[in-house]
Amino acid sequence: MKRAVLFAVIALLLAPDARSEPYLAVQKGMKCVACHTSPSGGGKRNSYGNYFAQRELPARTLGAATGGANFWDGELFKYLAIGGDIRGGWNRIEVPGQATTSDTEWEEFIGYAEVKLIPNTLSVHLDAQLAPDDPFIREQYLRLSLADGRFYLKGGEFFLPFGLRLQDDSAFIRQVGGINFNTPDTGWELGWEQDRWSVQFAVSRGTAGGPETDSGKQYSLVVSHVRDRWRVGGSVNFNDTAFGDRQMQNVFAGLRTGRVSWLGELDFIIDEGTSTGRRELWAGLLEANVQLTRGHNIKISYEHFDPDDDVAEDEQNRFSLLWEYFPIQFVQTRLGYRIYDGIPQNPAQNRDQYFAELHLPF
Amino acid sequence: MHNNELAWPHPAGALKIEQFGKLCTSPRTVLAVLVASFVTACSAGSGDGLSVSGRPLGEGGNVPLAPTLGSIQANVFDAACVVCHSGATAPLGLRLDKANSFANLVGVPSQQSGSTLRVNPGLPDQSYLIQKLEGTAGSGAQMPLGGPPIPASTIAFVRQWISDGAMPDPGPGPTTPPVVVAMTPDPDSVLATLPSQVTVAFDQEPDAATINASTVEIRRSVDAQFDNGDDEVLAAASIQLSGANPRLLLIDLSGVTPVEDRYRLTLLGNGANLILNLGGVALDGEFSGTLPSGDGTAGGNFVAEFSVQGIQPTLASIQDSVFTPTCAPGCHTGPPGPGLPSGMDLSSAAASYASLVGVASVEQPSILRVAPSDANASYLIHKIEGTAAVGGRMPLGGNPLPQETIDAIRLWIDQGADP
Repeated sequence: MKRAVLFAVIALLLAPDARSEPYLAVQKGMKCVACHTSPSGGGKRNSYGNYFAQRELPARTLGAATGGANFWDGELFKYLAIGGDIRGGWNRIEVPGQATTSDTEWEEFIGYAEVKLIPNTLSVHLDAQLAPDDPFIREQYLRLSLADGRFYLKGGEFFLPFGLRLQDDSAFIRQVGGINFNTPDTGWELGWEQDRWSVQFAVSRGTAGGPETDSGKQYSLVVSHVRDRWRVGGSVNFNDTAFGDRQMQNVFAGLRTGRVSWLGELDFIIDEGTSTGRRELWAGLLEANVQLTRGHNIKISYEHFDPDDDVAEDEQNRFSLLWEYFPIQFVQTRLGYRIYDGIPQNPAQNRDQYFAELHLPF
Repeated sequence: MHNNELAWPHPAGALKIEQFGKLCTSPRTVLAVLVASFVTACSAGSGDGLSVSGRPLGEGGNVPLAPTLGSIQANVFDAACVVCHSGATAPLGLRLDKANSFANLVGVPSQQSGSTLRVNPGLPDQSYLIQKLEGTAGSGAQMPLGGPPIPASTIAFVRQWISDGAMPDPGPGPTTPPVVVAMTPDPDSVLATLPSQVTVAFDQEPDAATINASTVEIRRSVDAQFDNGDDEVLAAASIQLSGANPRLLLIDLSGVTPVEDRYRLTLLGNGANLILNLGGVALDGEFSGTLPSGDGTAGGNFVAEFSVQGIQPTLASIQDSVFTPTCAPGCHTGPPGPGLPSGMDLSSAAASYASLVGVASVEQPSILRVAPSDANASYLIHKIEGTAAVGGRMPLGGNPLPQETIDAIRLWIDQGADP
């Protein structure tokens, strides 16, 4: 596995990306592409991503000395790499005036595959939910990388680039914007990775996974600048549809101060042609991740959502407190508590949520 | 500038990043920042003057739970779904705002499970909406995503609405007069035969009680002249609104003997018996050749005519009688191109002319699809007569065209195949 370690080191030095959660990228001062196959972050890890997840992230590493050479890098052979994530957990939701619901379920088994037709140049990428329900493909695209990976073009179905790619799709900035892990779209994406800059521009159907319905397209652009301790970026998105246009823009940032990694994003969305006419929405996130000791992270976040800037007293807040524990490689547990604070006449906007999750990424 | 020398605005000078880092690293500082954020952050809305869905009460107010679309819209879709399922980026194109929910749900196949309708009228257990709300769908997560499940007692109303047929709400009745927005066959069209059904689409639901033989009439002229005493009123088998779309008027002529003649459809917007909307406003029916009908004020009869002449040796007649109803749907749809069958665009007279006349066949490139003045040398004739060397007889999988239809097409070609 010396070659894999070497590859990991090269990948780290050459830089593009790493991720799992944006705060980890902030913590390490690296781009998303240092750890993930996709420069936008999320999904399948590359060799360094696997190395980081198994050697640096967990509290303990079983089976080998910490920093040892042996780790699962997903490379089955030269032309095929795979990965996956199994997630399940317990969830309890208390809604005022309603019966409390509590359930334990195996949520998903996600499988990733990268077929390297021409290694480092031309590859096919698949991201599919394999279980527990009917299997379905979330991403499927062909990627052409040029100039040592500084430029790439991908075509097919993929998650659009926009803002911070948080793991939590229920976060206001992920939910309200409508660009998350539930809404891949079909189109083309052009990317540029140069030193500290990262740019992604996508043109897609604009149907959030649905079939083409008109001639309008969705355009999404993300520009970010990454430094060792901080990063800033911005996104714009315009979706031209026969059902009304949507224009979204945001700014986001990350900052590392010692053991604390900060994340922030502010989104402003303009919807035209809704049943109530033009609507302007705001969504924001402020998050602190405190690395207590190796393998332990405390996540505290505050989110705000204003569904219509022209309507007073309709704002919603969400507060979250999570303990993320990586006991050993391939295992992550999360214990969390969320408080939703919305208008009193809507009980669901004032719920409390307790959850425990088990993630088995590989 | 080196990272370690990154200046930070400070009255007393530059605060170095290390100092800032130490300040922010302190757990007490982190806690203080977060508490300060929470305290000074935008607080949640008080909800004053808003409905349960967070919209001003003036837009409809709180609606009690009931098995109606309006109630489900207010208490389920608006309250829990439209935060994601609205606007241009609604997941899977499923917009559930008031203007779109009915059209996107009822009778529409699911994108995740194409064999299941999102709402299957009368069959809640076979409706994907119910499966998603109850968490039993084969794909994807339970809805609302990341939120508390909709209470079973609320879903029961959704189930009941679907069991009752998943009808749109009649609403309080619009105050604007209804108008005719479409008619089949098209006004002034020339048909080869009398259609078995005439349909009229309104912009809003008319009052079903005002739809009957005294307000809706089709007559034929007998002598090409109307209102001279010898017109014959057709005995429609039924005149009613569509059960699936109450804005659509269906006139069943299946029992009427087809006769080549001129026909007139009349919908009454004046007089003692007239068509009203659900608010009691009369049809705005004046029609001068362009739809929608009306002059902006309530009242006025809608009168439109069409002819049955049998097929004529003209492109317009062939288009109306053959290409549009038989060839274009699902096959020769366009856009024009080399691919078959869609590339041979027969969806309109202009498109048909461009695709046929003087254009070499793709299957037999040495033969023109339509060779003007020479029907025998036209591949179109070979295909509809079943003598082409390549491929099947057209219409593919359907009955061969009647000989009089083929004769009319032949004659059109032999006369020069004019546009």
